Amino acid sequence: MATSWLAWFLEALSKFLNFITFGKMLREEIEDTDLTVNVKFSKDLIIPVKISSDMTVQQIKDQLASELSIPQQELRIIFAGKELMDQTILQDFDVGDQTILHAVKQKQAQTSISIPEVNAETTCPLSDSIVKLQLTDSDRKTLGSSIDIRRVHFFVFCNDPCKQVCPGKLRVRCATCLQGTLLLQEDPQCWEDVLSKGRLKGKCQNDSCTGSDAEFFFKCAAHTPNTDNAAPLEHVKNNFQEVPCIACQDISQIVLVFPCEASHVICLECFLAYCLSRLNERKFVQTDLFGYTLACPVNCADSFIKDAHHFRVLGYEQYQRYQRFATEDFILKAGGVFCPRPGCGAGILLDETLSKCNKVTCSRIEGQGCGFVFCRDCLQGAHIGPCQEEDVAERDLTLAMQREDTAGGTLFMVDEDRASRSRWDKSSRITIKGTTKPCPKCRTPTERSGGCMHMACGRCDLEWCWICQAEWTRSCQGSHWFG
Amino acid sequence: MQGTRRLQKELTDLQQSPMKVFRDIQVDESNILLWQGLIVPENPPYNKGAFRVEISFPPEYPFKPPKILFRTKIYHPNVDEQGRVCLSMILPDNWKPATRTEQVIHALVTLVNEPEPDHPLRNDLAEEYLRDRKRFMKNAEDFTKRHAEKRPID
Repeated sequence: MATSWLAWFLEALSKFLNFITFGKMLREEIEDTDLTVNVKFSKDLIIPVKISSDMTVQQIKDQLASELSIPQQELRIIFAGKELMDQTILQDFDVGDQTILHAVKQKQAQTSISIPEVNAETTCPLSDSIVKLQLTDSDRKTLGSSIDIRRVHFFVFCNDPCKQVCPGKLRVRCATCLQGTLLLQEDPQCWEDVLSKGRLKGKCQNDSCTGSDAEFFFKCAAHTPNTDNAAPLEHVKNNFQEVPCIACQDISQIVLVFPCEASHVICLECFLAYCLSRLNERKFVQTDLFGYTLACPVNCADSFIKDAHHFRVLGYEQYQRYQRFATEDFILKAGGVFCPRPGCGAGILLDETLSKCNKVTCSRIEGQGCGFVFCRDCLQGAHIGPCQEEDVAERDLTLAMQREDTAGGTLFMVDEDRASRSRWDKSSRITIKGTTKPCPKCRTPTERSGGCMHMACGRCDLEWCWICQAEWTRSCQGSHWFG
Repeated sequence: MQGTRRLQKELTDLQQSPMKVFRDIQVDESNILLWQGLIVPENPPYNKGAFRVEISFPPEYPFKPPKILFRTKIYHPNVDEQGRVCLSMILPDNWKPATRTEQVIHALVTLVNEPEPDHPLRNDLAEEYLRDRKRFMKNAEDFTKRHAEKRPID
């Protein structure tokens, strides 16, 4: 008898404790699974609907039908390029908090024609199609037949607020009316399908639109609501194979896979270190297809990072620097010059037809340029006749200054500081004069920070000897390789 | 940072499976970027002694190659009088981040055992090596006996 009393008391106590401690948590849990989606019926009519974890499309249609006074059978719900079937459970279909669903009225006349044309698999969310693309054959083997698609992601760089690589979501809209009312004809089969506008077709279900081109875009899956587009990172993948990083040899969950034949794998931390070290040496490569980019650290053929957004891992400031270097490199490769006036430094592409004339004008266009007119060869004010030799030496210094400016950031460019800046300029000029030697070919002032006498010009790639100040030879190697 | 982690791992691996030709690896706990070790060559004329070398890793390792310096004097066409050595695997242009220090050490030991007179750092020794091998061997052996460290006994 005594024991049963005790049992009763303990049970009551635990119920009471549960009530005061876990009750609150329980309520929050319910709120967590209760999401609000916004159903967009027209530009001005957006209806927020609360959905529970097991709510089906049928149920949402019932609710909308009464609010819109449209027969339930005539309503179609479109999400990410696909029509949602009545029995689909919304939360299983990649629908999250604040997601926008599109509701359209069935286009009467076309009903029988348009539905057969739409072949995109309506049983799988759009994001899953791209997630499946990320899987290699060996991934599939590793994961087996029971791929839990929720464990697989593709990745985006979220600029705001995450500022990092995040799992991504794929969305699609009509390229004509920019509404999400497009029904895709087929699922994307490769990244190009997704990245080039209009490559995949569909049918816009918006009453007033006849658009048929699909335009894909990406969102960060790590936060809601999100209105900003995120940049897709096609080389970043889940590391199901547990391949060790080429640099640190650790096995990371999320890695970057270079597009080389060997598919070299690098973890994101090492990729950042790799980018930074190459950026500091200005060793990025200007390519026709992919812009200013990097190959895999082993220098494999065809291993260039295909999209500059991957370099956003550098962080805001370093990414700005990356962009500045990219522009400068492009202008130099195209035979352009930079305005030599301190504080300006605008890049100027030269008109080939004027190549006989040395005069260059730094035109004021769109807030850039200062109007300075200078000689292309000596970078002094424009002049008639040949350049002064001193001026050519001065030019080398100006070039060096420009490099230093860009390497050290342009934070010095504040007007009030102009006086002190000019002193800094001068002392910097003296330093450069004292510590550098010009490359024998392109005359870029070069500093030797240590190591052997074998110099490799970062600009024109000439291999030269610090002592002879001429091209590197075998006798340099033999007699004074190390001074 | 990631370089330090990788180096720690490489060091542990090396210590767990010691090499005959490269022993006595010493790393200061406060600076994992600087290693020392003892090369124990197998080929004459260098098999009369052992040579202490220093391997220093840049902070950017493994994206930049390590550097090697001989601490023991050696009579060798590919090592200069300051102990600097030109190993093609660790030239900046040839360097691959996936190359492990163990491979670098192997390449170094191979170079010590088999000089490459075509890419010399000391022209005089390379000439002697090519023109008068006997004399080179004798000089190198004498030099080794005089300057090199004692070979570990095992």
